[in-house]
Amino acid sequence: MIKNPYWGKDFFSFFSLFFQRLFTGEVFTGDLASDEVQMFVLMLIAAATSIVGTFLVLKKMTMLANSLSHTLLLGLVAAFIIIQPLSWEEGLNFSTLLIASLVAGLATTFLTDGLTRYLRVQEDASIGLVFTTLFALSIVLVTVFTKNVHLGIEAVMGNVDALHKEDLKLIFGIALGDLLVVSLFFKELKIVAFDPGLASSQGISPNFFNALLMILTAATSIGAFRAVGVLLVLAFLVGLPLTARLLTHRLHLLIPLAAGIGVLCSLVAVALSRHFLSVYQVPLSTAGLVTMTIALAYVISLSLSRCSGKGKTV
Amino acid sequence: MIWDALTDPVLRAPTLGSMLMCLASALVGVIVVLRKRSLVGEALSHAAYPGVVLAALFTALFFPDSEDGFAFIILIGAFLSALLGLWTIELLQTKFRVKADAALCFVLSVFFGCGILIASRVQFTHPLWYQKIQMFLYGQAATMTDQHVVIYGSLCLLTVLFIALLYHPIQAVSFDRDFAKSTGIAVQWLEGATFFLLVLAIVIGIRSVGVVLMSGMLIAPVVAAKQWTHRLFTLFVLSALFGTLSGFFGNYFSTEIPRWVSGKFSLPTGPMILLCASLFCFFSLLLSPGSGLLSRCFRIYKFRRKCRQENVLKAYWKGDEPDASRFFLWILYMQGWLRKDGAGYHLSPDGRHRAAQIVRLHRLWEVYLVDYMGQGVERVHRNAEEMEHILTPELEKELTILLQDPKRDPHHQPIPGKEGL
Repeated sequence: MIKNPYWGKDFFSFFSLFFQRLFTGEVFTGDLASDEVQMFVLMLIAAATSIVGTFLVLKKMTMLANSLSHTLLLGLVAAFIIIQPLSWEEGLNFSTLLIASLVAGLATTFLTDGLTRYLRVQEDASIGLVFTTLFALSIVLVTVFTKNVHLGIEAVMGNVDALHKEDLKLIFGIALGDLLVVSLFFKELKIVAFDPGLASSQGISPNFFNALLMILTAATSIGAFRAVGVLLVLAFLVGLPLTARLLTHRLHLLIPLAAGIGVLCSLVAVALSRHFLSVYQVPLSTAGLVTMTIALAYVISLSLSRCSGKGKTV
Repeated sequence: MIWDALTDPVLRAPTLGSMLMCLASALVGVIVVLRKRSLVGEALSHAAYPGVVLAALFTALFFPDSEDGFAFIILIGAFLSALLGLWTIELLQTKFRVKADAALCFVLSVFFGCGILIASRVQFTHPLWYQKIQMFLYGQAATMTDQHVVIYGSLCLLTVLFIALLYHPIQAVSFDRDFAKSTGIAVQWLEGATFFLLVLAIVIGIRSVGVVLMSGMLIAPVVAAKQWTHRLFTLFVLSALFGTLSGFFGNYFSTEIPRWVSGKFSLPTGPMILLCASLFCFFSLLLSPGSGLLSRCFRIYKFRRKCRQENVLKAYWKGDEPDASRFFLWILYMQGWLRKDGAGYHLSPDGRHRAAQIVRLHRLWEVYLVDYMGQGVERVHRNAEEMEHILTPELEKELTILLQDPKRDPHHQPIPGKEGL
């Protein structure tokens, strides 16, 4: 275990040290300090979620994303049962991720759809029913298999301190994948988001792209899951696009802007977390801090857009 | 024995407590689900979490010895913070015109994040209290005492009383908001009161179900109950029944399952309660006589079989060879529609009558389509092939009068006469 250079730094000296390490290239050559791992993971999460989240917000599918972020715990349980005995600490490899996100994405979409279509449950109720049931099932399974209540709690709260470099690689891969898929299908996704009727008349299947988006969301949330837990992923997925939406109404600016705000928020949150630890000796949850920073960013953007009179609405 | 859960002095309080809590949420759930606002419950239950944490911190700082006071303060804290969440959702939606789903998700995650943030502070300074907060994530009924049951029981009674007193306005608003408005019901006030009630039910419920799964308990009992009745009163009663039963069994299994797998761990009550409610829901969706999946499949099967039977009889009537298996024909024979003679089957008098009736309906419909709908003669056959199985005797009567009992169809085929008309 190397000594963490950020130990005892306050908010501002944290930044000066970080930029110093960044410019001297120590970050890239030497070992990453745990603060830096957290920061980069959160930044990448911010980038990945703003790519996906923008479309979710535009298509009013965020409640489905909420249910997805719950059901992916079942996906993870399924993946662990299929591939390997339940070992949480090692992190996730690619095949686990793939199976889990496919199971979660498809199970959520099809069950919710099936309940509405074949069992004639009204839509909001079927969303609520499916994800709470699947989540309850996975909590019971996790608790019974590991004989430990703690994992279930960590699932909703996240644990930034347990992150290591493997997570960084994984989330980097996910962010890259999101970027690739979205830039490949940008035009199609855009049309589907704004005018599904036009899309199907042009031979672009809205159902296919909805499913694609759900699977992307599932993969992204799983990447974020170990860091911030299933619920705070939503703050990224919804909060960042909403914040960016206050500042611009052009889609191709919206995504980078959301990602930029997210990156800034992660930076500030990790620095704040270190600051509280160094100055007040209080360890605060970094995941909670990021969420609050995003909320703060929303409020600031809100007042900015109000002042300049360009208030955009989502 | 399973009933020990109700009589055993240690198990009694948790069991009764979870039953009461689920009763409250199942009742309020009816109103919320009927208004199609059930996902608000999801956001509000998470919004209650920072209140729980703050209340714990408050108690830890000022009344560290008061065990009963803690339950009470937590109720107030959760209530206030859920109300704040509700207000924020309304503000985002109306003032800043954020879409409903995004507003719910945003409030949900931000409030929950705030809760986690404060919880991490509590974990550091007051680890014992942190343990108590964690119970509210997935619910833990086991540590409830009789005093808690009294508190939760009276709150639950409050909910029941409220619904009982406002039953008629609630009914009117749930099914026809405009009508309710026109009869002078203060709809806005009532909706405000309903949200108040929702917050109350959530605050009551999170002790045993937990904030994460609370919204499921607002939905599952109601969806289950909706399968069995179309009357609002019965819906309330059945939903309350399903909710209470899930509370009972969920609590029971959450203490029993760790014993079965002989593990030294505690299973949170919330997931088990919810799974029980979902099981009720699943079986109701599958088995209920009116709208259940099985009964609907059976009705579809019966209708398809009727159509096939009638097509076979029609084929015999026209003198064609029917397209059906020997078994199918044998069944028709056993039912008395067909008669056997040497080489094959032919129509019995009953069968002849029924086949003629079908042909009559078919051709009447064709006449109607041509004369009244102005469709081309060559195009009406396909539609009539379907309608002949659907037309009722009443409709036939109407058609006969409207078309003045025609003798020939558009293809110049004779229409079999209606005896006794």
